[in-house]
Amino acid sequence: MSAVVFSTWQDEFIDNRGKSSEEWSSSAFKLPEDYTADRSSKAFIGWDGVAIFQEDVDAVRLATEYAAQYQVYSEACGRCAPGRWGGRILFDLLDKIARGDGSHEDIEHLTEVSETMMVTSKCEIGRTVPKPILDLMKHYKEQFDKCIDNQEQSKHYDQDINYIAKVTAPCTDMCPAHVDIPAYIEGVRDMVFTESLGATRQTMPLAHTCGRVCPHPCEDACRRTNLDEPISIMELKRLGADYETDHGLDWQHPYEPKPLKNDGKKVAIIGAGPAGLTTAYYLALEGIKVDIFEELPVLGGEVAVGVPEYRMPIDKYNKDIELVTSMEAVTVYANHRVDDKRLEEIDAEYDATMLAFGTRLSKKVRAKNEKSDMDGYWGAIDMLDKVNLWTKYGIGSSASDDLKDKTVVCVGGGFTSMDVVRCSIREGAKKVIMIYRRDEKTIIRNTTYEEYHEAVEEGVEFIFHSAVEEIFDENNQITKLLINKFELVPDPDGGRAQLVKIDDGDFEIDCDFLIPAVSQAADLQLIPEKWDLKLTSWNTILTNGKDYMTSRDGLFASGDCEYGPMTIVNAVGQAKRASSVITRYIYDGKVSLTDDEIMEDHLNKLKVYDKKEKVTGWMPGLPRVVSEKLETDERKYNNREVNLGFTGEEAISEAERCMRCYYISMAVV
Amino acid sequence: MSISIKINGKDCEGVAGDTILNIARANDIYIPTMCYLTKVAPIASCRMCVVAVEGVEGMILSCQEKAINGAIITTSTPEIEKQRKNIMKLYDVNHPLECGVCDKSGECDLQNKTMEFEVDKQTFTAKEQHRPVQDWGFISYDPSLCIMCEKCVRVCTEIVGDNVLAISSGGYNSTIINTKLDEDCSNCGECMSVCPVGALVSTDFKYSSNAWELNKIPASCSHCSSACQLSYEVKADSIFNNEKKIYRVTNNYEFSSLCGAGRFGFDYANNNVTKDEIAFDNAVEAFKKADTIRFSATITNEEALILQNIKEKYDINLVCDEARGYQKFLNEFNSITGKSLYSGNLENISKSQGIIVLGSRINDDNPMVKYHITMASRRKRARVIYMHPMEDYSMKEIITQFIKYEVGSEEGVTALLARTLINSDDENIKNYLDDLDIGNLSAESNIGEEELADLSKSLNRKSGFSLVIGSDLYNHPQAKNIAKLLGLIEIHTNFEVLIVPPATNALGVSLICDLSDEVNGYTIGYNTEGDFVLSALGNTDLDIPALNQQEGTFTTVDKRVVPTNVGLEYHGYVLNDIANALGLNNKYTIDYTPHLPIKNGYKSIKFDELPDYFDSIGNEHRGYLLDIVNHEQNLDLDEISTLPTYDGSVIYNCNKGTQFSAFTNKSEYLSNETVLKGSSQFATVAKLKDKDKIKFTLNGVNYERVFKIDTLMKGTIAINPTFDMGLSSTLVSSYRFSQPKLEKMDS
Repeated sequence: MSAVVFSTWQDEFIDNRGKSSEEWSSSAFKLPEDYTADRSSKAFIGWDGVAIFQEDVDAVRLATEYAAQYQVYSEACGRCAPGRWGGRILFDLLDKIARGDGSHEDIEHLTEVSETMMVTSKCEIGRTVPKPILDLMKHYKEQFDKCIDNQEQSKHYDQDINYIAKVTAPCTDMCPAHVDIPAYIEGVRDMVFTESLGATRQTMPLAHTCGRVCPHPCEDACRRTNLDEPISIMELKRLGADYETDHGLDWQHPYEPKPLKNDGKKVAIIGAGPAGLTTAYYLALEGIKVDIFEELPVLGGEVAVGVPEYRMPIDKYNKDIELVTSMEAVTVYANHRVDDKRLEEIDAEYDATMLAFGTRLSKKVRAKNEKSDMDGYWGAIDMLDKVNLWTKYGIGSSASDDLKDKTVVCVGGGFTSMDVVRCSIREGAKKVIMIYRRDEKTIIRNTTYEEYHEAVEEGVEFIFHSAVEEIFDENNQITKLLINKFELVPDPDGGRAQLVKIDDGDFEIDCDFLIPAVSQAADLQLIPEKWDLKLTSWNTILTNGKDYMTSRDGLFASGDCEYGPMTIVNAVGQAKRASSVITRYIYDGKVSLTDDEIMEDHLNKLKVYDKKEKVTGWMPGLPRVVSEKLETDERKYNNREVNLGFTGEEAISEAERCMRCYYISMAVV
Repeated sequence: MSISIKINGKDCEGVAGDTILNIARANDIYIPTMCYLTKVAPIASCRMCVVAVEGVEGMILSCQEKAINGAIITTSTPEIEKQRKNIMKLYDVNHPLECGVCDKSGECDLQNKTMEFEVDKQTFTAKEQHRPVQDWGFISYDPSLCIMCEKCVRVCTEIVGDNVLAISSGGYNSTIINTKLDEDCSNCGECMSVCPVGALVSTDFKYSSNAWELNKIPASCSHCSSACQLSYEVKADSIFNNEKKIYRVTNNYEFSSLCGAGRFGFDYANNNVTKDEIAFDNAVEAFKKADTIRFSATITNEEALILQNIKEKYDINLVCDEARGYQKFLNEFNSITGKSLYSGNLENISKSQGIIVLGSRINDDNPMVKYHITMASRRKRARVIYMHPMEDYSMKEIITQFIKYEVGSEEGVTALLARTLINSDDENIKNYLDDLDIGNLSAESNIGEEELADLSKSLNRKSGFSLVIGSDLYNHPQAKNIAKLLGLIEIHTNFEVLIVPPATNALGVSLICDLSDEVNGYTIGYNTEGDFVLSALGNTDLDIPALNQQEGTFTTVDKRVVPTNVGLEYHGYVLNDIANALGLNNKYTIDYTPHLPIKNGYKSIKFDELPDYFDSIGNEHRGYLLDIVNHEQNLDLDEISTLPTYDGSVIYNCNKGTQFSAFTNKSEYLSNETVLKGSSQFATVAKLKDKDKIKFTLNGVNYERVFKIDTLMKGTIAINPTFDMGLSSTLVSSYRFSQPKLEKMDS
């Protein structure tokens, strides 16, 4: 709900002009009435309409500035005829009117060129820019007429007003790392893969990784869904990264890294996982000295020691890591455990410190007789550490020494548990069972359709609506489990269905291993107690979710240790934002956001994707392209990458489905 | 899966994945476009091709959108026409009205469409920009004429693979930029050929003729075995001289491409020749007493057949140094496969998921093969494994794995490759491959087993593989067994092998002529050296026409027999005149066309009946494809012999860039740098300094070269061009790598 003078946002029509404040109707959308806590907005204009917050607005200049933003600052890429010339004509004609040189014929030409842009432009930006301009020309006609009839300047023509524009897209907005998705897809479509990669790396250094194992929330906000099926956004990301690796090219940075500043400022990063690497990369691009402290002998965090080789080949992840560690400004200290004492030293020595140590404690399943020291009781994190350290790095010994011909039961339902069961198969377990409290639909939603089906194909047995009640052991060796069965009972009052235990549903499973993979917690022992650092109710480190500074000055947190166990892309998004804040903080001691970041947050609140919008001008019914996977027998007993990825042809065909839903919006402050 | 749609009421068939525009074109239905170029992926910048689809709101972009089964499409409605006209108006905003002096006038898409859509007044205006003309060497770019259709950028990235041109985005200020002005661009002129307006024009041709004054003569390029489609564009030189001159070469750029030699190296005709009866009589006498006819493979099929007929009639040795090794190689290959030809072709290369190039510096040896590898790399993300003793830096963004091997070890390399790729149940083959001494081959060739493991790992798709074989192998001491091993790969793997002919018509000569190894006795030189020399290079015992002055056919790398026509008339004697004087009896050279040997796959089709066009969706109808006939099979394989070693500095014969032969060397438009190029490492080993003058002898030909250090090169191999050696340049008949004694000359 927002208070507006006038709004055409998403086809609502509110006109409170001349009404008393009691008669005002308000907008149903979370429009940015206040740009920041101490700066109010005059107006907001964008792809879906215009909202005026203050009565005294210069509509002619507003329209002109919007056209100018499209022309000058936006992604008005000039890559289609209507957008390229149309955008310029819009601006030239509007400016002509605003400065007092316009004619009524210009209004006609504006309408005509707008219409052509709206039906023929290549990107959504060209198709949507005319909409609010036409709205203004219609509903603030008197202002336009006045300029033309009197050949006079619009009323605020010479005033100093701030127009802050931001280009986004539904997918970009939904992506926690706000990756410029249409740009990297366009790079694939154009077969200029270096540009594709450059676009990704503006906000996402882990292109190999997030082109393989990202759960792609962006695809839930893909406008193509309104037409047929979402674009396979995630898989298209890896093409750029593969191209760089395949051809041994120099690193494709989003811009030329700035030379190392050597001004005495330096930032410490605790943990070399996705959040740590991302923080390091964007600080290093700015020429700021970074030291990364990693407890393990290998870099990469959970993606290295948690995500298995068959999903995320280490040679590819190592390329993402090398991108970061090859930067002049980055120094890595592996095998370097940071405890509370060391953290105090670091905190004192560095200008800012980023906590990015993840969540590496496996939570318990809460069954009777559950003891961590039982033989056969193996936390998911420890188990995956062992598997991955051996298969990827040859460190330690093979987990098949433990698991071969054994029966393994995993309790879980998320990605980690899928990794546990599928690795167990690969390590030669005789029987692998997944116990999950909820149903098949939910496990697919929590992971992916492919992940679940591939596990089933490989022989994992899923028992849904079930939970472990008790663990049995002989001489401290697990022998069997008592399992409760549940059923989903609909609420007669129409509320949420409840899981209810089936009284005579209990059964036992003989097993050698129980691997809990229900969730992970952050190991907070390294935080000095005397800091009294504020935590969330989930026992993760508290920040405001915008600038990622903790309750202690100069101490930042991002990734799983801030959010709780979440996705790689979430960690990257947080760390990217935090690194931007740090670049300023270490020089001015202030925690601030850029206009671009403020707009990013406003748009995210407003919601860019409208799942009810009707898409026109595209041929519906072109199915999403699915890449080739290894057959079950080709992949079941080895660590070959299961997903072969798109062939070039498939990738281009999929990229051609992308509707380039760029939008430009602008706040007037 | 086939689909059917209705366009403007007409039932049209297509295949799932076909675009609406392609189905329309295949059915002769017109949809206007400005940016569409059939040979590349849809660019989708002009938005002119929008159509209406029943039940779908809005206008649908027909060039990019795939047709859905059952779709009902209308290509023209008043609303669509209005938008198309508006787009044309936008294109015309500030387009300079300089048609009178624009090279493109008369063949300009903007001009044509402006008239088609009757844009007779302009309602849109925008501020004009200052955009000066840029000189890019072969090509001039005028950004104020540019309509940003992006065709030029597409061909540069997607077909040529140079990645020279790029788009500088910026709305109204967008422009095309040349990102490699200081570096090598292959100067192919593809960008210029696809430019729909006068933005990209040939610097040489600029302001030399109006398009409509030029007469287009369809022909085939004579510079390499791709024999690409082209037209010589001719007109009289001046009102005082009625002799025609070739002003430029154009091609059917919508569907096919050219390299720089084909496009700019057209001025090699043997001009101002008249009938010299004395010389002719001498020539006839020379043929009568000849023991050997030695000839170059830059020759038409018909000429080759005439020579073969003369040989048969007078029992004369035929020697073709350029084709002999190739012919033997092909025969050995065929003895394993039991077929008369290899199975690979250019189109399938461009559709491959995995390509191995063995024994060729392919970017220089055959640009058209390289273009097709580029297409596979870009469109299919093909794994491209390049196996050669020297890295080719210009292929970096195409190659995914470079496997370097020692000079001379090609037999071992081929054996290793056969062992890596072949998975056969045949006991003999299994035993043969199992018995290979892998450790030894690996050590001698310097190819690590992990490199071969990476190679197999990267070819993880199930089909779509091509193996491109080049001329390093044809004259290798172990060529026979190499060819046989390749034959095994051809029949026992899903690789299609393409054996690239080393010269323009080496394949035709191989299929038409019975060649001898040795030159003996009195020798006629036909475009090469001899006791009596006939040559199109001029200044010899008898002049003969160059290939752009002849009609006839070539046999291409694609196993296609393509026709070429007389670009410039020739007023002297031709080989057929000599043949007739020798008692053969055919009025015209092209009377031989239907008599090319059917037993080797040629067809009995008269020259004038050979088709020469591309259809509306780009299918090639040029001449005909050779039939593949059965060949006697002999599955005996030889032991791998001990590999010779090439320690120290090595010379590699290879013509760089746009040069192929003494004929391209005649062109004033092509760069003809003839230095011996090597790395600083080569310089150290060969004890040479930059700019040292040296001399050496290869195949009896004496070379004098200036040595130049190329900092992009590595290793101890230097590249030696041979195209400038005139009649001797066709005499190269030994293994391409050699170690001649390099003698320093006083500078």
